[in-house]
Amino acid sequence: MKTKTNALGQGFIRCHDCGCLVKSVNHLSSCPRCDSHLHARRPHSLQRTAALLFSSFFLYIPANIFPIMNVNQFGAGDPHTIAGGIIELFNSGMIPIGLLVLVASILVPSLKLIGIGLLLLCAHFRWQVNARKWTVMYRVIAFVGRWSMLDIFMISILVDLVNFGAVQIIAGPAATAFAAVVILTMFAAENFDPRLLWDNQHNL
Amino acid sequence: MNSTNYDACPECDLLIKSAQLKIGEKAHCPRCGFLLSRPRKQTVERTFALSIAGFILFFPANLLPMVGITVLGNTNTGLLMSGVIALFNDGMEAVAIVVFLASIFFPLVHISLSLLISGHLYFNRPNRCLIGWMRWMHHLDEWVMLEVYMLGIIVACVKLMAIAPLKFGWGLYAFIALIIITTMLTSGLDSALFWQRIEQLSNENIDEN
Repeated sequence: MKTKTNALGQGFIRCHDCGCLVKSVNHLSSCPRCDSHLHARRPHSLQRTAALLFSSFFLYIPANIFPIMNVNQFGAGDPHTIAGGIIELFNSGMIPIGLLVLVASILVPSLKLIGIGLLLLCAHFRWQVNARKWTVMYRVIAFVGRWSMLDIFMISILVDLVNFGAVQIIAGPAATAFAAVVILTMFAAENFDPRLLWDNQHNL
Repeated sequence: MNSTNYDACPECDLLIKSAQLKIGEKAHCPRCGFLLSRPRKQTVERTFALSIAGFILFFPANLLPMVGITVLGNTNTGLLMSGVIALFNDGMEAVAIVVFLASIFFPLVHISLSLLISGHLYFNRPNRCLIGWMRWMHHLDEWVMLEVYMLGIIVACVKLMAIAPLKFGWGLYAFIALIIITTMLTSGLDSALFWQRIEQLSNENIDEN
């Protein structure tokens, strides 16, 4: 089998910010080109990712239980949860938009929580896996994360536009929790270092 | 082994010989498939032109009404900022701040930074701050969520169309143009080349003094 070499194994560190290669033998603490801190791997990658993941996991529960918005019509309140809003879209025949919201606000966050959890387990327990496939999974997770903010932006528009005294839309407590879930999982994905997956493979 | 002849893949840390690519070619990491570099034609000029256009468009997109809705004779029009204020008044301060940052503040900072950087590179003006700006722009990339906001507008409009007639304003068209420009900016930016140019500029500056 052809041996392929890690940069770190050859004594090189790649700067996170500007991408230049630095010889780690010189024990530089900052990058000569852009002056940012040099780390061979993201510092405390697994601990930070795990902390952020657990926080977002626990926030995910209130985000789905509590109403994300209240539709007040002539004094009578009608609370909507995330799932309720999607069911309503389906019932009124707007299937494509309903699917879009289903993917962005339910499938993406929950699959993301599971995916980051698996990545953490894989890196921590040094599972022997097809690292290329796992890196692709990481890439997908890091890419799709921001699209979950869709629901939050939609609420900001609805709250602003539907404000007619008799008919009002008011944001609910789940909005804060959901926004926190999206942001924390984005940070979790950013803090996870996919190179740890490759470091653990014995036969490359 | 000279470090300038080599690159490391940011996602699997494979040590790779740097390739000199022609315009239109792509370099992928042979081990994990990461897109390493993709040189574009006249990337500095393109970025400079797009940043100017984006910076100008930012103002109509934020100041002109985007969507208007009429219920029982009353018309409400929405701006990016009025959504933030409405959330704030509902007691959702945290969400309001997040929406403000992701849809107004970060896009403005991102476009300003890219205007400053590409302007300095275009006119070959060295500046001590270039490195800092470049790093900030790199970190902000992910937090500019205009295209996600656009999807939010679409879903909100579909929901509202069932209730009342909607009117789309010039703000929305400016906003769509702004999204196209920011997407072209982030996807067309050759950051490796930008870093090289910044390094060259600062070296020339040292030689002159």
